[in-house]
Amino acid sequence: MNLIRAEVERLAARRFVQLMVVLLVLAFGVTAATTLASSHQPTAVELAEAQRQAAEVRRGLELEHERCLARDRGELPDRDYYSHLPADCSQLDPALRDYQPVTADFLSGVFTFTRQAEPLLYFLVAFLMLFGFLVGASYIGADLNSGGVVNLLLWRPRRLTVLGAKLGTLLGAVLGLSLLASAAYLVTFWVIAQVVGYPGPTNAAFWAELGAIWGRGLVLVLLVTAGGFAIATMGRHTSAALGAVAAYLVLWELGGRIVLQILEVARPDQLMLASYVAAWLAGTMTFWDSSGCNFGNCNGSYTVTWGPALAVLLLLTAGLTAAAFAVFRRRDLT
Amino acid sequence: MTQVIEIEGLRKTFHSVRRGRRVAVDGFDLLVEAGQVHGFLGPNGSGKTTTLRALLGLVRADDGRMRVLGANAPEQLPRVAGRVGAIVESPQFFGNFTAHRTLRLLALAGGVPVTRVDEVLEQVGLHDRGHERVKGYSLGMKQRLAVASALLKRPELLILDEPANGLDPAGIREMRDLMRSLAANGVTVLVSSHILAEIQLICDHVTIISRGRRVAAGRVDEVLAGFDRDECLVRADDLARAEELLLAAGLTVTGHADHLVVSGVPDPATVSRTLGEQGVWVRELTPLRPDLESVFLELTGAPAQPGVPRQVDGWAPHHDPAADRVIDLDIRGVDA
Repeated sequence: MNLIRAEVERLAARRFVQLMVVLLVLAFGVTAATTLASSHQPTAVELAEAQRQAAEVRRGLELEHERCLARDRGELPDRDYYSHLPADCSQLDPALRDYQPVTADFLSGVFTFTRQAEPLLYFLVAFLMLFGFLVGASYIGADLNSGGVVNLLLWRPRRLTVLGAKLGTLLGAVLGLSLLASAAYLVTFWVIAQVVGYPGPTNAAFWAELGAIWGRGLVLVLLVTAGGFAIATMGRHTSAALGAVAAYLVLWELGGRIVLQILEVARPDQLMLASYVAAWLAGTMTFWDSSGCNFGNCNGSYTVTWGPALAVLLLLTAGLTAAAFAVFRRRDLT
Repeated sequence: MTQVIEIEGLRKTFHSVRRGRRVAVDGFDLLVEAGQVHGFLGPNGSGKTTTLRALLGLVRADDGRMRVLGANAPEQLPRVAGRVGAIVESPQFFGNFTAHRTLRLLALAGGVPVTRVDEVLEQVGLHDRGHERVKGYSLGMKQRLAVASALLKRPELLILDEPANGLDPAGIREMRDLMRSLAANGVTVLVSSHILAEIQLICDHVTIISRGRRVAAGRVDEVLAGFDRDECLVRADDLARAEELLLAAGLTVTGHADHLVVSGVPDPATVSRTLGEQGVWVRELTPLRPDLESVFLELTGAPAQPGVPRQVDGWAPHHDPAADRVIDLDIRGVDA
């Protein structure tokens, strides 16, 4: 317990951590201020007009679907006139569409919470991932480099306990900060929408979806943090983690992707970590693979869902962490 | 006497892709008993720091047996870590933390009351500057901070690697006084240093390591006595006549421009009597006793050659006779 307390204090006292927190607050402040300045509460007239436009578009979509069904029933006299309609009318079915036009789509200069919450949350998760990775890597990297770990081991000569306490403290601190930051972030934008914007129609499904993204985002932040910590532990330096990620992105995600395309390897996205990150965060991700198609006459799409994505990310992080502990246990600290 | 540190047959080889295989410690033995202020000497690269790191569990030994305060190292180190204070090589601290915070974090991690922090800062002379960032400290101040961190847990055994490194003369004296006062309070001190005069002043026992092996061990005065050739320096009015008379008396004499060095004379009175009886009057007669520096240089084969830069203690291919000479007065305590 004392070790954890000391590590919490050490982590909080680090300049880099403080700088990253300031950056987080700054990014938060700038986003909120910009939103606040560029939004206004819609007047009753604006709202009514937007509602009318949304209803009109929805009605138009329903009509188009109806026409398509009528064509199939042979009720339309001039079939050529409706040749733009797809062979499969379910593609036009409003009930099956991913997105329905809503009032907020037709409000200009108005911050609408239900429309913006998701991208705002993705931005926050991305920032927290960067925060976790850099803080995780620098926390252990700087400690290994500055002799802090050696000093600590002279006091507590249990390597795995010391490294475990550091990782546990780091993950706990990042989780705590992420929870606080994301809660504050969403509440702030909810209030902004109430005061100078438009909250939009919220229901249980909306909150559930937002909550799911939030939860998955936090898990991803923790995995990335642990990954940065593990790579820096193995490489003894913060820069080892940065270098490893940069090398992976350039060599594999960019270079490897090109090579796989040249070699016409099936489903190359399945071999990219970014696909699993995106699939985990979004819940499901659809990719396109034309390598098996002849004359374009096939559906080459395939999806990666959050389950396999989580398995891949967990396996990778667990592997890196286990390797870091194994290396640290046997390493000569000179 | 209680053995506080026991090392037997310690071996450690470092392997590196770039530098290949390097034997750092090769069957080294060390014995430190309770209450000793034990000097640990050796040239650069001789294996001192590797030995201390292995003892403290920072480096994995390839072979050998180590015990600290009765606990097998490194397996049982956690059992005795609270009783051992140590600094190893150049102390490094996080530059953005103050000395106070650095010690406070160590105290917290080690379960030591944080009130000890001010006490040890006072003890090492950093009390007034304890709230400054460490990155602004001189090497000597960092050294003091390192010693403070080692003292924080009121150790029974203090292991100090080059504690005088970077200290000014006043600091060196303070460090010497501190070690003496700790020893007087029953703390066993193992100190490695290059400042041989300091070691001679502070330590009662010494172990000398060269090329990873022990080449001398025992009480300081006994190690020095092992190198005493019963020499004395003689100055007289007629040096040529004096040399002639001393040679005639069966003594070994080395002539110099203004003095003679006579060897094999346990009692200097022999010289004055031999010369006086023949009417040659001695103007100066000084017994030449070996100091730790001369013994160290002789044992480690390290005297500087003019125009030849001295190399650190590595594994040179040539045979070094000094490495074969082992003075061991400390096998289970010669003074026991």
